[in-house]
Amino acid sequence: MGKNVWDMLLGFFAWCCAILLAGSMILIIGFLILKGYKAISLELIFANTSPLDALLFKQQVFGGLFPAMVGTFFLILLSMGFALPLGLASGIFLAEYAPGSIKKIFSLCFDILAGVPSIVIGLFGFSITILLHHSFNSQIFPCLLISALSLAFLVLPYIIKTTQVALESIPLLIRLTAPSLGATKLENIFLVLLPASISDITSGIVLAIGRCAEDTAVIMLTGVVAVAGIPKSIFSGFEALPFYIYYIASEYSDQSELMKGYGAAIILLLICSGLFGISHWGKNRLTAKTRFNY
Amino acid sequence: MIMGKKQIKIQIKDLGFYYKNQQIFENICIEFENNSITTISGPSGQGKSSFLMALNRLWESIEGAKVKGTIRMDFGKGFENIYHKNYSVTKLRQRVGMVFQVPNPLPMSIYKNIEFPLKLRGEKNKTIIAEKVEQTLIESFLWEEVKDRLFTDAGLLSGGQQQRLCIARALVLEPQVLLLDEPTSSLDEKSVQVIEDLLLKLKKKCTIILVSHHIDQVDRIADNKLVLSDRRLVQH
Amino acid sequence: MQHREHIAGIIFWGATVLSAGVTLAVLVFMVILSLPIIKNDMILEVLMGPWSPDYGLFGILPMIVGTLCIALLSLVFSFPVSLGCSIFIEIIRPGKPGRFLKKFVRLMTAVPTVIYGFVGVFLLVPHVRGFVSHGSGMCILSASLMLGLVISPTMILFFSQSFARVPKTYLNAVDALGGTQFQKFIYLLFPQAWPGILTGIILAFGRAMGDTLIALMISGNSVMLPTSPLDSARTLTAHIAMIIAADFGSIEFKTIFLCGGILYLLTSFGILLARFSAGKQN
Repeated sequence: MGKNVWDMLLGFFAWCCAILLAGSMILIIGFLILKGYKAISLELIFANTSPLDALLFKQQVFGGLFPAMVGTFFLILLSMGFALPLGLASGIFLAEYAPGSIKKIFSLCFDILAGVPSIVIGLFGFSITILLHHSFNSQIFPCLLISALSLAFLVLPYIIKTTQVALESIPLLIRLTAPSLGATKLENIFLVLLPASISDITSGIVLAIGRCAEDTAVIMLTGVVAVAGIPKSIFSGFEALPFYIYYIASEYSDQSELMKGYGAAIILLLICSGLFGISHWGKNRLTAKTRFNY
Repeated sequence: MIMGKKQIKIQIKDLGFYYKNQQIFENICIEFENNSITTISGPSGQGKSSFLMALNRLWESIEGAKVKGTIRMDFGKGFENIYHKNYSVTKLRQRVGMVFQVPNPLPMSIYKNIEFPLKLRGEKNKTIIAEKVEQTLIESFLWEEVKDRLFTDAGLLSGGQQQRLCIARALVLEPQVLLLDEPTSSLDEKSVQVIEDLLLKLKKKCTIILVSHHIDQVDRIADNKLVLSDRRLVQH
Repeated sequence: MQHREHIAGIIFWGATVLSAGVTLAVLVFMVILSLPIIKNDMILEVLMGPWSPDYGLFGILPMIVGTLCIALLSLVFSFPVSLGCSIFIEIIRPGKPGRFLKKFVRLMTAVPTVIYGFVGVFLLVPHVRGFVSHGSGMCILSASLMLGLVISPTMILFFSQSFARVPKTYLNAVDALGGTQFQKFIYLLFPQAWPGILTGIILAFGRAMGDTLIALMISGNSVMLPTSPLDSARTLTAHIAMIIAADFGSIEFKTIFLCGGILYLLTSFGILLARFSAGKQN
């Protein structure tokens, strides 16, 4: 293996690209932190209300990020409530019940869904609102429920794929153990296969949660607003962190609002990287515990 | 050789096994005597494991596998066609146990591993369960080694111990037929000896069909020696 | 017991059909809600013409061009850098530095796009403005630079995987014949991994076309047909986000469903292409 000019050029090119990429990211994150760290404080989140009162929903928070954070939280809860059962069941079907040809067709279907731009999913959610508005109840408008439903559609293909791949990667010997002892298909799935793949599935779910926390396009079309306070019901408008950041970028009126925008961006970044970290750390811990010795 | 009426446990007629449209073996006709040890040897990849799986219908969990022919077994009430469309597969597997080539303990404690088949069958009485666990572990020559750590992870046992655990687990439902796929191929000499003694003891309660590569083992314990090669099953 | 098994199977099947139904329903809704445009024979006008609602012109051509330009330019920026990074990870420094960069790239996928957009507005745009000395700095160039960064992880991870899949026996053969690292790359790794690389490019392009926030925040959103990278432009995605606030009954409003339909078809086509190309490497 000789080192010549071309080799050196290749190495040089690769190093340049790596440094360019890493450098750009560090520049972006660094800029954000530098500009925004001063804004991080309890006041940023709770404004003039005491944190305890705010957390117990005793008092509304005005001018702080708390309502947006609560909105994001409820969004995640609701959308996961829709997406998890549907996604897990579909993943189980594809991995354990579907014959080869059907599996391929459905897989393609979900790949396509995963590729649909988020704004189109949001538009779909909006269209559903129109449908419900006209045929059901003219009191229905874009709201927390519709946003959560639309977010569920957004992350559904990821949960399905994660579950499917996790189950499919279980070795044959493990799959055959319980049936050879008289277990039914369902017993095998719930007593052996799912516990065996729980770490992969959970890490996929955490990533999906991250997706819900960061999405802006879907919620923009389905009910998020700039100011709404804590959502009163699932049919009301709501705030969310990512939308707040977008809104500030285009509509900030003074320096203090801009600072709040920076602060919100840092908080959102922390939440998303935190979820990312949990997903990977959790994967390693759980895998060690449920490792099959074979 | 005792003369007299041989009691047939398993009757196989025209058995064929296919995997992804490729023929593994075909037209196998053979009978297995009650309370005997039959060994099956032969070159690898010829379908010995598939043959065993035809006897407890485990191939049905593998996509692309197909079986033709009839298998009838006598569990005490006359011959039953185990491939009958109404025949309960789960009941079959409680009467026909299987031990795999590589030990496959479930990720639970030793106790829970053996309790598992009992729970599947609906056994809830804790006393009965505890009794059966102890009984099968004693039978499998494993009790003395694990009686003080029944609730530790089964994965921590040695290979030979794990395999004996798998045998105990397969025995807890008191199967009438026991299928073993090269059970000692990954074990040390001492474990091999222990398991062979175990099988000779079990012969009195079970009909045992054993896939084995080792000529010595076959000579030591077989009542009947078969060879599966060139897609046919013949007497050795 | 049999009964329970049967019911469970039906429930799982039902869930899958429902989920797949969503995929279909999205397209169906887009088509149905664009029907007014198709019915009134306006379809050609809308697809090919300029956007000027005050003059009764509802053409989305500028937006189609905007989407394609920004996506293409971001690909132009991102491809070499992504290729270089994956070469770094798999070939130049596959040990600790490579693994570190890979983890770093994975972490990049956790950063929300709205953050890229936000920093783009306050860091990138002023610099582009100063550099170019005319315009507001909100243009195709700015958007493509940021978007290039966003789609890089997709390509880097795909490329790395493709390089790693090339069988070691081939690599050993080249080594034994005295090939240099560069020769190994040009004559073996790249050609062998090409289907995977192509798949990564297609997927990244789809991602770029589907992005909303970055385009919305830093591409300027002008409705004029762009003529240079320094022009402001509007993408189909940003157009949807902006027109949603318009009067529901108007033709203006109906065009967003057409935009949605076009985006759906474009990205689905990309997925099919990518599937086909991915099949080639196996």
